[in-house]
Amino acid sequence: MDIRLEDVSCRRGGRDVLGIPSLSIASGRVTAVLGPNGAGKTTLLRLIAGLDRPYSGKVLVGGETADARRRCVSYLFQEQVFLRQSLLDNLELGLQLHGASDAEARERAIAGLQLLGIESLADRRADQISGGEGRRASLARALSLASPVLLLDEPMAGLDGRTYTRLLDELPPLLGAFAATTVVVTHDREEAFRLCDDVVILVGGRVRAVGTKQEVATNPRHREVAEVLGYTVLTAGGCLVATPETGFTLAPAPTALSAVVERVTDVVDHWEVVATIGETRVHVRAPRSDTPPTPGDHVWLRTSVMYELS
Amino acid sequence: MDAGTLVITVRTLAISGAATLLSIIVGVPIGYALARRQFAGRTVLLGFINTGMGMPPVVVGLIVWLLLVRSGPFGDFELIYTPTAMVVAQFLLATPIVIGFTTASFQSLSPRLIDLLRVLGAGRVRMLWLLAREARLGLLAAVMAAFGAIVSEVGASMIVGGNLERSTRVLTTAIVTETSRGEVERALALGFVLLALSLVVNVALTIAQQRNRP
Repeated sequence: MDIRLEDVSCRRGGRDVLGIPSLSIASGRVTAVLGPNGAGKTTLLRLIAGLDRPYSGKVLVGGETADARRRCVSYLFQEQVFLRQSLLDNLELGLQLHGASDAEARERAIAGLQLLGIESLADRRADQISGGEGRRASLARALSLASPVLLLDEPMAGLDGRTYTRLLDELPPLLGAFAATTVVVTHDREEAFRLCDDVVILVGGRVRAVGTKQEVATNPRHREVAEVLGYTVLTAGGCLVATPETGFTLAPAPTALSAVVERVTDVVDHWEVVATIGETRVHVRAPRSDTPPTPGDHVWLRTSVMYELS
Repeated sequence: MDAGTLVITVRTLAISGAATLLSIIVGVPIGYALARRQFAGRTVLLGFINTGMGMPPVVVGLIVWLLLVRSGPFGDFELIYTPTAMVVAQFLLATPIVIGFTTASFQSLSPRLIDLLRVLGAGRVRMLWLLAREARLGLLAAVMAAFGAIVSEVGASMIVGGNLERSTRVLTTAIVTETSRGEVERALALGFVLLALSLVVNVALTIAQQRNRP
């Protein structure tokens, strides 16, 4: 079930918080909405869920306005929300409201808890579980509904390191198995890239980039996008960005940029190269090779992430 | 406890119980709507309701008396000096209390909980029921406050009921009567009965309220 936004705007307190002329989210794929705090990510998710109405424009889920299709959507809230009853009852309630019979609801609720490895918590009251368990329970509820559209708002927020890592390993195959149209809101680049197929970069209520994760990661186009992706913008008003992990690699290539080596430092396992491209000085991490570049050399800087800023 | 006292006690419980029940039926949905909906004048309306929570029973009694008295607008129903008239007056006293408490307890629920139930596809009635269960602490406090206020009031009952020995005398009005007759011991005994009645009802409600306390 695909999701489409047409000329959508959203206002809060007389201020525009979201403005999306057009956005399509492909059916059956996992799309990450990535952006800094206050970018309008949750606002977008709430519009898709039909929890809020846009100030103008249309939000179509499966070709219909989201309001009417509310029942097709399963939503994981950033906060943990449960009724004051057992986890099993909480999961069953969701399924019953979705039209499952009592017996079927129980069966699917237990299956959901098993999926997340928390079936032992079935009888625990929802207010007596830890943050990590609560997150698993929320995920179990969201997944057990098997809705065609799955919306996850910061599914990994507030988890400790170990729990985070484990859940981040478990989640992609789970999402893959359900094959729902999944939208994951996150401010964490690694999380987004681990979980998703497609990426939507949202900054200041505007979509700044959209595409497969490869497309977006290798071609950020805008400085803001590069920053959201965690790239270091090397020049102040200039035109270069670099990933923190790889930096630039030195190699002659047709898509590369010519630079002059200024200084080379030997750093245990790589060369730290300072080079200039015109007026711009860049720091480059170069892999160790037999012959290090020497000052004055003309070299090619190849990078997968190097763009003109418009 | 003699037979006369027993009759008065049962009557008190019946009249105040009926009025409380009616005020819940009317007040809880209104309180729920006030908590959920935004509309012009909502705050002012809440202000009026909160004022109503402290309405003097005598004044309410007087107004109901004016409405129900033979020559009044609803005089044809011949309700004045009947238990029904007392239920009406006590209902009017209890309803603002129920609405005020209900609004506050529904408003204190997490808005995310309402979002969750909406996304899960809960209809209106189901939503009210599930949220009421979540707001149980506050709602039962509303019932206790309402019942406590009307079972102990004397002004309205006296005016619209008339304190007729065979039909409208309740514990509070009986205490007034006995005291004015100089039967202080009997008045005091009735006072204890009233307190005991309040205690029993409130303990029962408190047990229901605190069960499975979070």
